[in-house]
Amino acid sequence: MRWWRLALGTVGSLVGLYGASQLLVHLPTHSLILVAVWLIAAVIIHDGLLSPVIVGVGSGFHRWVPDRGRRYLQAALIIGAMVTLIAIPMIYRQGTQPPSKAILLQNFGANLALLLGVIAGLTLIAYVVRVARDGSLQPPDQGA
Amino acid sequence: MLSVAIGSNRHHYVGGLRGHCHQTGAMACLASTTRPRWWPHFSSTVRSTALTARLGAMLGTAIGICFLTGLLSYYQYQPWSWLPQPAGPVWGYRLTQGVHVATGMTAIPLLFVKLWSVYPNQFRWPPIRSIKHAVERFTVAILVGSALVQVSTGFFNVLNWYPFRWDFLSVHYYLAYVVVGSVLLHIGVKLPDIVYGLQTKVAEGDVLTEIPWNENPESHSNAGPLPPPVTPGISRRGVLAATGAGIGLVAITSVGQTITPLEPIGLLAVRQRSKGPQGVPVNRTAEQAQVLAAATARDWTLIIDGPHPYVLRLADIEAAAAHNDRFPISCVEGWSAGADWRGLLLLDVVRRAGGTERSRIRFQSLEQGWPFNHSEMFGPQLSRALLATHLNAERINLDHGYPLRLIAPNRAGVLNTKWLSRIEVL
Repeated sequence: MRWWRLALGTVGSLVGLYGASQLLVHLPTHSLILVAVWLIAAVIIHDGLLSPVIVGVGSGFHRWVPDRGRRYLQAALIIGAMVTLIAIPMIYRQGTQPPSKAILLQNFGANLALLLGVIAGLTLIAYVVRVARDGSLQPPDQGA
Repeated sequence: MLSVAIGSNRHHYVGGLRGHCHQTGAMACLASTTRPRWWPHFSSTVRSTALTARLGAMLGTAIGICFLTGLLSYYQYQPWSWLPQPAGPVWGYRLTQGVHVATGMTAIPLLFVKLWSVYPNQFRWPPIRSIKHAVERFTVAILVGSALVQVSTGFFNVLNWYPFRWDFLSVHYYLAYVVVGSVLLHIGVKLPDIVYGLQTKVAEGDVLTEIPWNENPESHSNAGPLPPPVTPGISRRGVLAATGAGIGLVAITSVGQTITPLEPIGLLAVRQRSKGPQGVPVNRTAEQAQVLAAATARDWTLIIDGPHPYVLRLADIEAAAAHNDRFPISCVEGWSAGADWRGLLLLDVVRRAGGTERSRIRFQSLEQGWPFNHSEMFGPQLSRALLATHLNAERINLDHGYPLRLIAPNRAGVLNTKWLSRIEVL
């Protein structure tokens, strides 16, 4: 394992340094500054804004939603968030291009609503089936 | 009980390479006791090295495929003289760029899930333990930043959206090396954890919190014969299944822009082949290229330069355009569409000018002042390429390159120069 780690670390460092050096060589200074700003902003937005919100939502659920229902809610939210992440830029960009490009001509807001509806519906069905199988509204692990 | 075996094994995977205070008793590490009370604490049992390793394997595979297919595309743009682009399979570029965009797009939400799974690592105490630790954190920050910027700007390019003011082609190319280099380095640094994570059942792996497993007396690997951690909410397997479902849903609703039969369910498909003029989308309209007047001018001619230069008038070309072929037009942005083309065989035009199938040909568009207003071709593509007058049995329209455009198999769409004005046999 030691040699693998050394090899991966060396090759990885060299490949990464090659990319960074090429950026430095080929980009004008104002582009380099912008790229650097985007790189730093990406980390700050992700780690400083998005992640705390997700962790907050998660702990809110932990506090207020019973375990059995929470499983299904969390699954639906993971799938729904993944789809929403892709759909948001499309919604923002729809209808901005000439029609002959055949690009972004759909109503992505409606499409996203449809997808989220399907996700919510299927999750709800799965949850209802679970409740029915457990034989009561009270989950078995809390029943006693 | 398997968990016992795992509990005693993690130290073996790590081989004492990381951490410096992995007491297995109740004695807590100094780092855990000196941290401030307000320091964030993560209590969820869902996060685990076993989960992260699986998410990381998926993401790493996607990034690897995306990188290699991306390199193929850049090679199309600047091929080496000794290794010309093949002409077949005709769907080669369609496949590789469809895969490139599909893996890149699905990597976006997958990257977020993967980062969620290791978020507590940001809150190790103390934040920086040594120079080595500082360097590691710095390289992880580069990995996270470059990966986020790379996949998001790539996606923006697919949406023809350029909120960033830099040359997309060069940054996307060179930043890809930074991403892949950081991934390889990260795999090297984390290899013991990855091996442990992948070899441990997902439900049984150590809980990942802000306290490293080897400093946490309650962690599964240290505490000895304990049952697997209880996940009261969604299970780790549930997270994997939901992530897989999310990836699948994004993929199946977006690849309709590449795989024509899936267009009807393409709720997140950026392009729709069927809505393009003559059944094919356009990337640069005649209006955007500002060629409306020049392309419709009555005196338009095609100049062919070479050992025996000559000029073709529109009527000559239309009278001689009798060669039919079918290849897809495929864009680096992932969309593609199969189409029937009719026109002159490029090689006939080249031979008349004194060239051969071994010549290098330069195509010049009527368009001015755009980096892709010309292209070059040599090698096998030359023998099958057409100078197209017709698309799907209709006279090719202005947005598709009227009066005449280049079209060749297995060739990036942007290199099939439209609104041709001049062909040079170099």
